[in-house]
Amino acid sequence: MLDHWLEQAAISPEEAEKIRLFETQKPFSLHWELKTLLYLGVLLLNAGLGYLIYDNIDHIGHAAIIAIIGAISAACFWYAFRHRKPFSTGEVESATPYFDYILLLGCLMFLVMEGFLQYQYQVFGTRYGLVTFIPMVLFFILAYVFDNRGVLSLGITALASWLGLTLTPHELLAKNDFNSHTITNMGIALGAFLCAVTFISERLDIKKHFSLTYLNFGVHIGMISCLAGMMALGYPLLYFPLLCIAVGFFLWYARTRASFYFLTVAVIYGYIGITYMIFINDRGFEIEFYLFYFLFSCIGVILFLTNYKRFIKKVKP
Amino acid sequence: MIAYNSEWLDAIKLKDTAKSWHENGLLDTEKWEALKSQKPSGFYSPNIFIRIGLGIFCLILMNAAMGLLALTGIIDSEAGMSAFGIICAVIWITLLEIWIIGSLHHYGSGIDDMMLYTATITMIGCFYINFPYDAGPLSYCWVAWPFLVLGSIRYIDRLMAAAAYGCTLLIVLFTVAKIPDVALYLLPFSGMVFSAGAWILARKGQQRSALRHWHDLFIMVELLSLLSFYASGNYWVVQQVGLGWKELPVPPMGLFFWAFTFGVPVLYILGGLRLKERLLLDIGIAAVAVSIFTFRFYHHVLPLAWACTIIGAFIFVAAYFSINYLRKHKGAFTYDAGDEKVLLQEIEEQLIEQLIAAPTGKPEPPKEGFGGGDFGGGGAGGEY
Repeated sequence: MLDHWLEQAAISPEEAEKIRLFETQKPFSLHWELKTLLYLGVLLLNAGLGYLIYDNIDHIGHAAIIAIIGAISAACFWYAFRHRKPFSTGEVESATPYFDYILLLGCLMFLVMEGFLQYQYQVFGTRYGLVTFIPMVLFFILAYVFDNRGVLSLGITALASWLGLTLTPHELLAKNDFNSHTITNMGIALGAFLCAVTFISERLDIKKHFSLTYLNFGVHIGMISCLAGMMALGYPLLYFPLLCIAVGFFLWYARTRASFYFLTVAVIYGYIGITYMIFINDRGFEIEFYLFYFLFSCIGVILFLTNYKRFIKKVKP
Repeated sequence: MIAYNSEWLDAIKLKDTAKSWHENGLLDTEKWEALKSQKPSGFYSPNIFIRIGLGIFCLILMNAAMGLLALTGIIDSEAGMSAFGIICAVIWITLLEIWIIGSLHHYGSGIDDMMLYTATITMIGCFYINFPYDAGPLSYCWVAWPFLVLGSIRYIDRLMAAAAYGCTLLIVLFTVAKIPDVALYLLPFSGMVFSAGAWILARKGQQRSALRHWHDLFIMVELLSLLSFYASGNYWVVQQVGLGWKELPVPPMGLFFWAFTFGVPVLYILGGLRLKERLLLDIGIAAVAVSIFTFRFYHHVLPLAWACTIIGAFIFVAAYFSINYLRKHKGAFTYDAGDEKVLLQEIEEQLIEQLIAAPTGKPEPPKEGFGGGDFGGGGAGGEY
């Protein structure tokens, strides 16, 4: 096979000899295998320890459990702290190959420990918001200090659950209804907030490479909340314009930043929204109408997507 | 033989290969540039995300079109249903051949993939509708087989190749299952023999330059043959088949299958390291996990929580020391990231590249797959 390509490329014999030597002698990379194993090890260890606690919650001494889990967590953070690279607002390379995984293990262990403390001793009482608030703050700090996108994702998840927990009981007391309005509106606000964070960080030049993580959470949380508002709450006239704004924003983003990912995502969410609007507007149309709608709308979308090169502004070299 | 322009296919592959030489300093920039301009390829192969979007919308479109056709009243009888299936399949294949591939030059754009799958499904479906009720599973496989094989050969599609492999394996197994008396004993071994044969053929096929366009399909077959070989002799699979079919609680030659369950993963891993064959190695690692599950299914040696903790700690420590070792000892193996990419890595890279490279406004060299069709129809980027 190699000879075939060498011949096709019309490469001189000396160069071909060099290439042949390179191809036969190049080392075999075990990078992804070992990384996957590290990750798997962290997940299994965490699941195992978490389950172990759950299983033996009445048998082992509580203090011992907390001590062990806390020690593992602390050891991980200590390792990360010892081996950290100097802080920078840009991207920092991992200090060691296992750095990210040990940090992740530390964070997950911290969650296990905290959950246990709350379950067993009700350390935080009924202030459930606080239970998620503490890891949220911790994870955000760790993510920025150690420059880790995985921990940032954990932090954003904690932020979402913290918002959900702090808003819900309040609403329950006030209105005594099943507060999905609050959750939906909070989702939209959170989505908008995450997008705003992206732009502020980029303007201030702080950790620009976190943009993807923020926007990725932002686009899905925001758009799903809009769709939920339309479908589950039954306020399409209120939430559909919001969805349109969101779709427009991400189309604009995709256009200026040459991002195919957000282009496709925005188009798919927008299409779901528009289709829903057409379907609830029941004027007694025949089934043919809907089939023709799908036919022509899909042709339109496909034409739009295949001409993406004209839509997306080329990044100037 | 191939629906796509084979010169362009060659050009993409050549540029892919030459790119890694260029990146490793074996090919000077002048030559590399010359090669790029000498070997043009005019495929439309968009970025992976555009491909996913196009695939989704093409699927909706085709279903709506078929729905409209169905409303004309053609499907009022079984014969009508069959005719409907054939008409649809012919329409899709003709459109695919003449329009999408012939004049629009799509290659891996999402549209050509979906059209091929829909055409195949409607074609096979129109035969299935008219099947007698007592038709055995074997006849279903035989009907689907030629379409799957022809489809994978002509459209060099990996999913079709996978389906064709599965179909062939089923044909072999169902045929063996019909042999009286000894069928149960022969089944695992026929699976093993078939898989081993497929593996050897796939390996040979990958090295033949005349079959270079089907290279990726052979890799797919190699992957599946490794999986089906292990599955054929896995104790759990053998025991469950024996139990479900002949109500045998314990399969004959149990010891052999236990040995197979634990021996094959080790063989895979050792073979993978020795031959420097990534597929063997990765499947070997996965097979070790499956073997552990198999063992735990019959022998509850440890509570789940303890097993998870101990295995997790063991894997973590083992990976830690392996990485340490590899970083200190340079040799045939390395921890440095290689230039071969897996699908997930590709997606992640594209995601990161798009969001990080663009806002900083740095003069990034135009990367493959970024502009979709800048050259080689996206080259490596358009592959998946």
